[in-house]
Amino acid sequence: MMNASRSIGLFFVIGLVALTAITAFSQEDPASVMTMLGPRAEGLIIARCSVCHSADLITQQRLSGTRWETTIEKMKHWGAEISGQEADLLIRYLSARYHPDAPLNLPPLDHEMRKAEPFKDEPEAQGPARGVVLRGAGVFELNCQGCHGAGAMGGMGPKLAKNPILKHDELFRETVLYGRGPMPAWGSVLSEQDIADVHEWLLTR
Amino acid sequence: MKDSSEGAIVSRRQWLKTFLGLGAGLLVVHRGGLLAGSVDLDTARDEASQLIVRVSRPFDAETPVREFTSFLTPNHLFFVRSHFGPPSPETIGESQWTLRVGGAVERPKVFTMRSLRQFEPVTITAVLQCSGNGRAYHRPRVPGVQWERGAVGNAQWTGVRLRDVLQAAGIRAEARHVMFQGADRPVVNAVPLFARSIPLQKALHPDTLLAYEMNGHPLPLLHGAPLRAITPGWMAESCIKWLTHIEAREDEASGYFMQTAYRVPVKSAHTNTAVTGNETAPVEVMPIKSLIASPENGQSLEAGPVTIQGVAWAGETSIAKVEVSIDEGKTWRPTHLVGDDRLYAWRQWRFLWQATVQGTFTILCRATDERGDVQPAASSWNPSGFLWNGWDRVTVQVHP
Repeated sequence: MMNASRSIGLFFVIGLVALTAITAFSQEDPASVMTMLGPRAEGLIIARCSVCHSADLITQQRLSGTRWETTIEKMKHWGAEISGQEADLLIRYLSARYHPDAPLNLPPLDHEMRKAEPFKDEPEAQGPARGVVLRGAGVFELNCQGCHGAGAMGGMGPKLAKNPILKHDELFRETVLYGRGPMPAWGSVLSEQDIADVHEWLLTR
Repeated sequence: MKDSSEGAIVSRRQWLKTFLGLGAGLLVVHRGGLLAGSVDLDTARDEASQLIVRVSRPFDAETPVREFTSFLTPNHLFFVRSHFGPPSPETIGESQWTLRVGGAVERPKVFTMRSLRQFEPVTITAVLQCSGNGRAYHRPRVPGVQWERGAVGNAQWTGVRLRDVLQAAGIRAEARHVMFQGADRPVVNAVPLFARSIPLQKALHPDTLLAYEMNGHPLPLLHGAPLRAITPGWMAESCIKWLTHIEAREDEASGYFMQTAYRVPVKSAHTNTAVTGNETAPVEVMPIKSLIASPENGQSLEAGPVTIQGVAWAGETSIAKVEVSIDEGKTWRPTHLVGDDRLYAWRQWRFLWQATVQGTFTILCRATDERGDVQPAASSWNPSGFLWNGWDRVTVQVHP
């Protein structure tokens, strides 16, 4: 009897703690989560998710936090380059904005037409950045190869080796920073130095 | 049923405007764009603007249901769905295409389109439907493309019998399944290929085709040019597009898209309830379903006679009747089945409604097939949101 009531009491305490934790978590005000995390999360969606699919596939979902979590796990498993910290942020943001009771017609992210907010603390560049070929090869492999193919020989995206755009530094930079058509904006992921490095490396291809 | 359609069309136009505004030689992704397969950009724009875009890349779009007043769904209005978008347009020429047939066969073969066309040509009219059509209506909500009513269409498919092709290669005794693989590829290598298999019995059925024409025209790129499988009466994920490989096997295809995706919990045939446990089966035959093509949801009608019309289909059997209800399913009235009655195609139906009273009315429809299966008020929930076939519903206003 004693043992039974003691364990009931223990369960009660555990339950209370869990309940408090859940309540605290769910009291995270969705509006402030969206304002606070929005720019970075939207940048991440463009940089990490829209390599494979446009963001409209994400914004039409209305899912619980658990469902968002499993979805992001699945995408990581399928090659999405999302760090643990980025995944946490995305889950918080997506659960706040695209939960099961959210209205169906939320304003679109409109990501493909505008630049994502930068979230890297980069010092302001002094004049145009000078590219480093070797570094550019690495940056390309990590970020661009998925679409533009190994050796920049083309894939889902066009071949960049010997591409005429390489002769236009500013056009190249803008295209990478802000995206163009189906290509997502990379301003939230790549620094000016990264872009200059990739450019320099591409010129050797 | 009312929601996102308009917004999607508008944003698609904006997207296209941006897309079309690009100069030559810039960073243009040419795969997955709807440019592909169309003769020129203006045509592509006009045609695509009539579809409801669900995902802009890879391109997934559904047909506005009002188009289903026509028996055949025109190619440019036919719903589009693929996991990775089409292969690049320059790779799909008939002269360069090959189909490899291997696995558990006596004589592995490589067919060209020309050699395939030596087999007897067959034309079949069949409904193709995405398994996720109607996913948006499942509750609780399910992740995936939020298809509403139009990820379905009825077209004439011309090609050769898969049976003839398999027999030319000689099926070995141990073969039980036939796997299809297309030329479409994911952006990232970690994503599994879209490979699916069907049981040998379906593969050897004389109506299962390798099709190269759709509604009398060469297959458009977005619909699998130059060659796709057609498994009449079955959900469309078996109808592999851009088909390059066929493999006879002892077991089902391995991999995500056969072993994890496109499966539903196994149900008892009698009670239609999911049995306990995790047993699942691949999605195969289409359940009975009907749609109201006219009037449209939200339409204003003048009081008087109104023709309610639509379509109904039932996988591998025929439609016996379609009924409509104007009182939330309390009473049902029979409609007239009209037009051709062809196995695998949809059946058109009409009902003359005397809309004499003004007000807001919800019209429901439900179909019954030859075996007695009746379209349910709502489909049973499943984790992937497949096979929605609940009563179709449109709400209209009747004015004096």
